[in-house]
Parts: sequence; C-alpha cells; structure tokens
Amino acid sequence: MSSVSRRPHGALVVVSIAVLLSAAGASAQEPPSSPPADAGSGEPDAGAPTSDVPPGLTPEEMAEIEKAFGGDTQQGVPSSTSAPPDSKPGGGLPLSIPGAGSGTNFLDLSFILDVAAAGFSSKEPLQGGAHDPTRNGFNLQQLELSIGSVVDPYFRFDANIVYSQFGVEIEEAYGTTLALPYSLQVRAGQFLTRFGRMNATHPHAWDFVDQPFAMSRVFGGEGNRGLGVELSWLAPLPWFVEVTGSATDATGEATARSFLGASNDRVLSPLDLQLTGAVKQFFPLSDDLSLMWGLSAATGPNPTGYRNRTDVYGTDLYLRYRPITAASDTLVTLQVEALYRRRQVPDDVLTDYNGYAQLAWRFSQRWATAARYELGTAAHGQDGKVAADPLDPEWTKNRDRVSVNLTFWPTEFSRLRLQAARDDARWRDEADYSVFLALELVTGAHGAHAF
Amino acid sequence: MRHLHFVAAMCAALCLLAAAPARAALNVVTTVPDLAALTKAVGGQHVDVQSMALGSQDPHRVDAKPSLALALNRADLLVCVGLDLEIGWLPNLLTGSRNPRIQVGSPGYLNASQFVRVLEIPPGKVDRSEGDVHPGGNPHYLYDPRQGAAVARGIAERLAQLDAKHAADYRANAAKLTAEIDKARADWEKRLAGLRGAPVIAFHKTTAYLADWLGFEPIAFLEPKPGIPPNPSHVAGVLVLSRQRKARMVLIESYYNDREAKMLANMIPAPLVTLHGGTDFRAGETYIQHINEMVGGLEKGLAGAKGG
Repeated sequence: MSSVSRRPHGALVVVSIAVLLSAAGASAQEPPSSPPADAGSGEPDAGAPTSDVPPGLTPEEMAEIEKAFGGDTQQGVPSSTSAPPDSKPGGGLPLSIPGAGSGTNFLDLSFILDVAAAGFSSKEPLQGGAHDPTRNGFNLQQLELSIGSVVDPYFRFDANIVYSQFGVEIEEAYGTTLALPYSLQVRAGQFLTRFGRMNATHPHAWDFVDQPFAMSRVFGGEGNRGLGVELSWLAPLPWFVEVTGSATDATGEATARSFLGASNDRVLSPLDLQLTGAVKQFFPLSDDLSLMWGLSAATGPNPTGYRNRTDVYGTDLYLRYRPITAASDTLVTLQVEALYRRRQVPDDVLTDYNGYAQLAWRFSQRWATAARYELGTAAHGQDGKVAADPLDPEWTKNRDRVSVNLTFWPTEFSRLRLQAARDDARWRDEADYSVFLALELVTGAHGAHAF
Repeated sequence: MRHLHFVAAMCAALCLLAAAPARAALNVVTTVPDLAALTKAVGGQHVDVQSMALGSQDPHRVDAKPSLALALNRADLLVCVGLDLEIGWLPNLLTGSRNPRIQVGSPGYLNASQFVRVLEIPPGKVDRSEGDVHPGGNPHYLYDPRQGAAVARGIAERLAQLDAKHAADYRANAAKLTAEIDKARADWEKRLAGLRGAPVIAFHKTTAYLADWLGFEPIAFLEPKPGIPPNPSHVAGVLVLSRQRKARMVLIESYYNDREAKMLANMIPAPLVTLHGGTDFRAGETYIQHINEMVGGLEKGLAGAKGG
C-alpha cells in the first residue's frame, strides 16, 4: 500500500504492535498454573503448549486436532486467560458484577477502553469523529464509563461519561420513564438524539474503528446530542412501529454542528430548539432475517443569520441475517444511511448529500470482516452550482472513502480490529490512506445490546 | 335520566363485549421455549404463550429484535430463567417494552430461578478470567425435570395471583403436570440407570443439573472456559483425560458448532449425543416430550457406549 511506503513511521508502529501482540499471545499459550475452578477434579491443564504432544496421544492424532482447527489460525489465542482464578489478589476486582454475592447492587457499571495505533499517509488526515484515531502513532479513542440502574418503579437512569486524555465529558446522562400509559416513554437529560441508526450509538456498537464522515460533517464529532426531552410511542399496530420526537438545545462544542453548534448563539425562544423526529419500523422477514427501516428529520436554527434554519432528512436501512434455526456462528448485516441537508444562509440555500453503506460478515465465533463505502457531496446553492460552505470551506468537490477491516474477538468482551481505508477527497491533490490497529476492552457489568 | 342510564348500560355492555375476547387469556411471554411449554401446560386455555428464543437458539445470544419488544409491550406476564442467562439481551427489551406490568419487581415479572435449587454458585468473587461465568449460579436448570416441576408450580402460583378467577385451574394443572413428570421420571431414571457414575465430556457447562439428576460425572468440557471456543491444546488434554477415564459419551447442545465434539468423539471413541437446547414449543412439543427425547438420545448414547 502506498501509505506504507510514504509513511514508514505509521507502518513501523503497526508492525511492531503486531509483533508485540503475537508475542503476548504466545506467552498466554503457556500452561496456566491451575485448572478452572469447578471444572472437575480430573481437568487437565487447559493450555498445554500445542507443540508438545500430551502423553497418551500419537503425534498423528495431535496433528489431526491441530488440522481441524485450521492450522495456526488460533495459535495466538490464549487457550485460557493467563491469570489463574485462585491467585487473585484480594482487592483485584474493581467492579462488582450484578448479582454477585449476596450484597445489593444498585448500579451496573462498565468501563470500555478503545485504543488504536494509526498510520496516515496525510499529514492532516480528514478524520472528523471525536473518537476517531486522528494522528500517527497511538491514539486513546476513549475510556467510556457506562452507568445504568433502575431508580424506582417509574424511572431508570443511564449515563455515559467519556474520559479522554485531556478531560472528562458527560456524553449522555438521562432518565427514562418505565411506567407511562399508552406505550409512551419519555427520556429527559442529555442524550444522543434518535436520528437514523448510527447517531444514537457509541463506538462500542460500531463495526468500524471510526465514525462515518456523514455523522461528523452534519452533526459534529460527537454526533447529534443535546440537553432536552424526548417522547416516544410504540404504535398499537401488528408490527413494530416506533415514533420518536425530541426537543434539544442545538448547542455544544462538538455536536449540533449544522445547527447552533459551537457558535455563541443561545436559545432565546422555543424556535431556537432543535426538533428531531423519527419513525422506525421493524419487519421480521423470517426467523433468520430481519429488516429495520427508519425515517428521520431534524430542524433547528443555524448561526448564519436571523431565523436561518437547517433541516436534515435521513433514511436508514438495516438488514440482518443471523441463522437461529440451526447451529451457526454466521452473522451478516447490511446497513445503509443517507442524509440530505438543507441550510438557509444569507442570500442562499445550501444543500448536500452524505451517506454510507456497510456490509459486515461474522464468519466464525471469533472472526468478522466488514467493508464500508461513504460519500459526501459539496454544498450546492439554489442555482445548482457549488457554493461556499461556511462550515467546510474546503469541501468543494465530492469525497468518498472506502474502508475494510478484519476483527478478531477473543471473547465478546474484547476485540482487535485491523482497518484500512482510502479516503479520496477530490479537492486534495491525491487520495489519503490510513491503517488502524484498534483494541477494545469491555469490563464490568455486561450491558445488553440494542438491535 | 332513565334514558341516560340505559345508554350508559348499553355502552358498558358493548365495551365488555368488545373487551371480552382480549380478556379471555393472559398474555404470557417467556424468554426460552422450555418455560413457554411449562406455562402452557399450567395455564391451559386461559393463557396465550409466546417464547422469545427458539429451541434451536443459544439462549445466551438472542438478538434483541424490536418485534420481541412489541411482544413484551403486550404481555401480562414475563417469565425468565434469570441467573444472568438473558443479561445480554433482555434488559434493553424490557425498558423498550414501555410496559409497567412486567418490569422487574412487578407482579408481571417472574424470575423462575427462585423456585430452583441453584447449583454451581461461585464461592466468593468472580471475574471473567474464568470465562463468561454466571455469578448467581448455573442457569441451565431446566434440563432437570425435578426443577422443571418446581418451576411449573411457581408459574401456576403467579398465574393464580394475576388471574384469581382461574386460580383453581392453574393449581390443578400444575398438580397434574407434576404427577406426569414424576411418573415419567421413574421411567427415565430406570432407562438411564447405567449413566450413574459414568464419566462424560460436555461442550458447555450446561450439564450441572442433568448430572445432578442422573448421577453421571462431567469430567471435562470442550470449552476451555465457558464462552471460550475450544482450541487444539485444550482438546488434546480433554482427549487424553477421556481415554484415561474411559468417558462414556460426549454431550453437546444442538445450537453449538459440533465440529470439535464430533472429532473428539471419534478419537476417544465414544458416542456423540446432541441435546436439543430447548423444547420445540412452536411445533407443539411439550416439556415432557422434550425431556423424553433427550432421555432417548442419552439412552442411545449409553447403548452405543456399551456396544462400542
């Protein structure tokens, strides 16, 4: 890849990490010092080195076993985590797991760490997401603390607090009602608005290391979120139809970018709130195949002049194939989102399109691969010509980006991802290339996964 | 005034008539099909039952499909296995259901593990270096029909509480089901007497209750730790141990990939017995039929072990 030749530093970093990781994997293959706690008295050492044939087996049988596992694909995988269960220091457990012991547990806590080594061919990579790797070398994408609990019979509480290297940010902190009649639900506090599919999710739920640029360009590095209130309703229909509407402050350092965003404008009247609405429909096409379709819209003020507004319209499609009628590790998902943005600016109305389509394929319990295509057009004025965009003055031509990745999941609580991308912003002289090696660790309460 | 009363009475009658078909049944949603089968046996025609997971599906890993949230939205009672079995998918659905009747702590939320003698509760603190452990104990208790009967009685009591009008029916049905299970159990235990004390290999740690009931000895698991897929060195160790201890059979749930289990069974050699993880409730299978089918599989495995 040309990025490698042009940027030996990034490549070196990646290679050395790969070497380190494989070494770590190899050392984890050493036999653990004690058998699993209650696996039976006769349990042999789980992680005997594969090169040694255990007594009682012929080398042919050992070879057959190794062949059945596809050669060395699992050599780097710890056969069991190297810490023996019995040798835990007394205070070695920072987080309690809900239900453990006899004590009450009021809070579900989890920490999610995302770190990445990155190499870019460009000195100024066009990475817009607040959690994206943005520079050559090591990147702390985020350390997310998730807290959740039922408050009382009427509310539950959720918060996502993000620690970066240089500060702490309250990404989300909201209450959700549990006991409203007529299938209504209210969320209040600071939350990611339910626009489309990607916006309301955190990096832990993403199939890629970075955010689609559609999100960061239209909504900001942190996506679209705000302080406000949201009402949602589950329609009394035979299939799933959820209608959501929210009103939020359209201000913030890295959010509501097409609205008031980081400008000095404040909410002076109800007209200065951002209103977001969405309709989600779900179709269980079969036991194995499901389809979710959403329509979203957001409107709010922008800072370019008195009563100038921005409207964003979006549609999202999520097709999920996961066989459950027979034993299978297969999971195939297709996710497409398209955004149309319309902004009133002095003497003009700017429109542009942004979107992405991604296909992810988990082909075994531990391995998955994914590909993503993204497209963003320049802003066009009422006359149909490319217009000066006050937010992205350099964005005068189309930009597209293609990313592919390979993910390895040791367990569902950790994953390693290798991702490469070609970012072709046509207003630049040449396309940019990037490569990431990202590690994610999830510890604490096992949070439930949204569909 | 008279007319007004008449109109009001007519309206009330109409409302009642319109509501009557909907009120004929309690709407019950269960997380796994075994619980659905038990609830149906106890509730009879007074309940409509739906299972969120299929019997062919790993109950640890169910997709939180919005259609399941919709089912929960309309449920009067949710019955779950508990012990964190559904922790990866149920909490979000429960919040998204917008149904106060079935939230944790409400009469419409029933955690069936409270009726069970829970096994394998980890002593002291646990962490995930031991794999995907269940800190509250092993949740796979529905493999043991004695526990199944206890759960059925618990469900009957809850149905009686929610629908007092038919309480007698629920209790009678539960008594009938318990008697049927006890009768079938005598036969099952006789057929599987040969399993007592037998060393057995299993894929996942689903065998605790089955072993407790039938008296066999799970000597090793193909998963190095719960939720961690098998790897060559571990399988080799299991193979050595299986030969040393003369393992009688290899057990695996139908929802796991059986490649390693098949290979191990061939190399020991010992019969491979595939257990259906749950009742095929949608096809009308009952819990007793499901256990009976499982016993049949174990019996065949036992006979194969003798023959081979």
